[in-house]
Amino acid sequence: MANKFDIQVRAEHEYAVLETAGYLNDALGEDLSKKAQELIEKGYTQLVINLEQTALINSIGISILIEIIEALDERDGTLNFCGLSATQERTFRMMAIAKYAGIFPDEKAAIANF
Amino acid sequence: MHLSSAEETIQRLIFSLSELEQLGQTLISGHSNFKVSSKTYLRIALGTLQVTRGAILCYHETDNYLTIAASTPELDETQIEIEPDEVKCLLESPTVDIDSPPENLQHFIDRNATLLDVDAMHRLWVPLKIHDEFLGILCLGKFLGRAKLEAWEQELLTILAHQISIAIAYSRNEERIQSEKFRLFMLAESAPQICQLLQPEDAAEQVVHQAVALLDSNVGALMLIQPNEPNLELSYVFPPDILASNDTEDDPENKFIISMEDVDESESQTSQYMLVNVVKEGRTGQCSAKMDSLFGGRNLMAGPIQGRDGDVLGVLVVGDKEERGRRNAEYTFEDETLLDSFAKQAGVAIENAHLHQEALEARQLQAEMEEARKIQENLIPDTLPDIPGYEVAGHYEPRGPVGGDYFDCIELQASGWGLAIADVSGKGMQAALLMATLRAGLISELSSATVPNENELVDMKNELIDMAMTLNSLLYVSGTEEKYATFFYSHLCPDTDTLTSLNGGHNPPLIVKNSGEIVWLGDEVGGLPLGMFPNDMVPLIAKYEAEQTILESGDIVIFYTDGVTETVNIDDEFYDEERLEQVAKTCNDSDASQICERIYKSVMDFQGNADQFDDLTLLVLRKK
Repeated sequence: MANKFDIQVRAEHEYAVLETAGYLNDALGEDLSKKAQELIEKGYTQLVINLEQTALINSIGISILIEIIEALDERDGTLNFCGLSATQERTFRMMAIAKYAGIFPDEKAAIANF
Repeated sequence: MHLSSAEETIQRLIFSLSELEQLGQTLISGHSNFKVSSKTYLRIALGTLQVTRGAILCYHETDNYLTIAASTPELDETQIEIEPDEVKCLLESPTVDIDSPPENLQHFIDRNATLLDVDAMHRLWVPLKIHDEFLGILCLGKFLGRAKLEAWEQELLTILAHQISIAIAYSRNEERIQSEKFRLFMLAESAPQICQLLQPEDAAEQVVHQAVALLDSNVGALMLIQPNEPNLELSYVFPPDILASNDTEDDPENKFIISMEDVDESESQTSQYMLVNVVKEGRTGQCSAKMDSLFGGRNLMAGPIQGRDGDVLGVLVVGDKEERGRRNAEYTFEDETLLDSFAKQAGVAIENAHLHQEALEARQLQAEMEEARKIQENLIPDTLPDIPGYEVAGHYEPRGPVGGDYFDCIELQASGWGLAIADVSGKGMQAALLMATLRAGLISELSSATVPNENELVDMKNELIDMAMTLNSLLYVSGTEEKYATFFYSHLCPDTDTLTSLNGGHNPPLIVKNSGEIVWLGDEVGGLPLGMFPNDMVPLIAKYEAEQTILESGDIVIFYTDGVTETVNIDDEFYDEERLEQVAKTCNDSDASQICERIYKSVMDFQGNADQFDDLTLLVLRKK
């Protein structure tokens, strides 16, 4: 797994995509939360989080993802995930994240399903 | 319409009740995360009490500080330190009037006056708590149009504070439950996942990754005990660049090895000592951030990796634990238990992967041995040529792993016959290929040999020495380190019955003279095995020499490899040269084939049920 920690934001007209790279722990999670919050404040209510470059997520990363779901839910927004590994997808379903957010194989599908 | 004071109070009460209901709804709506819902709670509290400014501060018990969860207007995010006696004082106070606070709190207020904008925003503080657990502070600014709260407003404030306290506690519990749920799931999920990995490198990487995520760590490593060496060697480390901070001058490959013998009590405070102790005691251990730079000098926890039979195979290390909002949290007893459980599963996975790898290597080696065996068998002649006036016979018996025995009898284009026997060092494909190289070199040399005559016997000796040097050079450049061949070559000139021989470190053949006398051939003129040293060093150590013998009718020459003389019986005794000599003496009335059989049978009888691991080769020449 690449030891590169990064978040790329791509804001389009009606939605925005956040791409993470590296271990989704407290540091990367807080950065992700901050960037998501900024987008929500700007009025974006449809967000995609692409986890293709994130092979590893700890419990803090999970709690931060739940926090973003709740923040979007407050604005009647939607969060879709894509690029999850099979284990991550099972984890998301088990943690009930999949109940409040969409899970799609790739960005195209995640965007098409808002 | 002008409302009377009573009507206004009733309207505010109705509003407050509806807001309280909304608070309840917020709590059960699934928005359990207080970081998200705190703004709603603050808005309802301020609206209900008609206060324009305020904040909710959340307490973090592990490090004794408060953070601003929500504020109106917004304050900068910061950590506000609070002393335990100040927390105690807040727990004992239902409310705190900032203008006349309890003595124990005055210092805290003074310390954070600017940070919390106390003058403008915060006039009344309500400690948030459930029973004796302090959760935070609801800070309220100036009251709109009145100097203080009325009695019913005080009661409402108490209810609001209680609701907010419940929300914080609920959020924290929910977070804890989510975290435990995640850990349990990861623990259950990781075992089958890592057990499927059959490459040791992949298994090591996954084990470390899973352990790091499972224990909310930022560093992880797997160190395994090396076979037959009292060392712990790094198999995988996360993040991969963590060792860059170590002094790697003596470790250019970044292998990172800890000797388990060199660590003693005087180093009991070091991470190395802790890791070695985990191996020795087979128990999870911990150490705080140390002065040594192991894995970046983080706080570490390590668990023993055990195989199925309970043997400790190595240690699984995690380090630099984090909690939400901060690094360097301490590992708890629960963390130790979790690492222990995970390390047990990891041990099985690591052992599986290594066993699989060993099985693969064994299969590969077996296939290579088969190939080598085929190559070798193709190099051994099926039949030997008829030499006028002589009988010649050979026997080759493969025993155990593929060795490198070789013999041949070649008719020379020039004149005469070449008899060769050799034993290549090592086993398997490399030995077979080296033997093939030797044979090809020998045939090439013999095909270019000149025709000797009686006056050129000295030249024949020199020719053999030149050939030995050529073959030595060929094998030296072809073979890897420690690859060489013992080699004995005799040139037979049937016209003169002259046998010119050269020994390259091989077992000396023996001649049983017709008279019964035994002569060891080449014993006095032994040279170095072929391919052991470069040509320029050979004369400095032991140059090749050749000798000549005239054979008489009935003389028997027995060439053999060490598989004959080094055959052991069940008492671990060697067959040795003496027994070979004894049996050879009884062969005077036999032909070459019978002599081969008799010696072979003698060796097999001696061997009995003992295991053998070296090939047995015989080449017999008899002058009729």
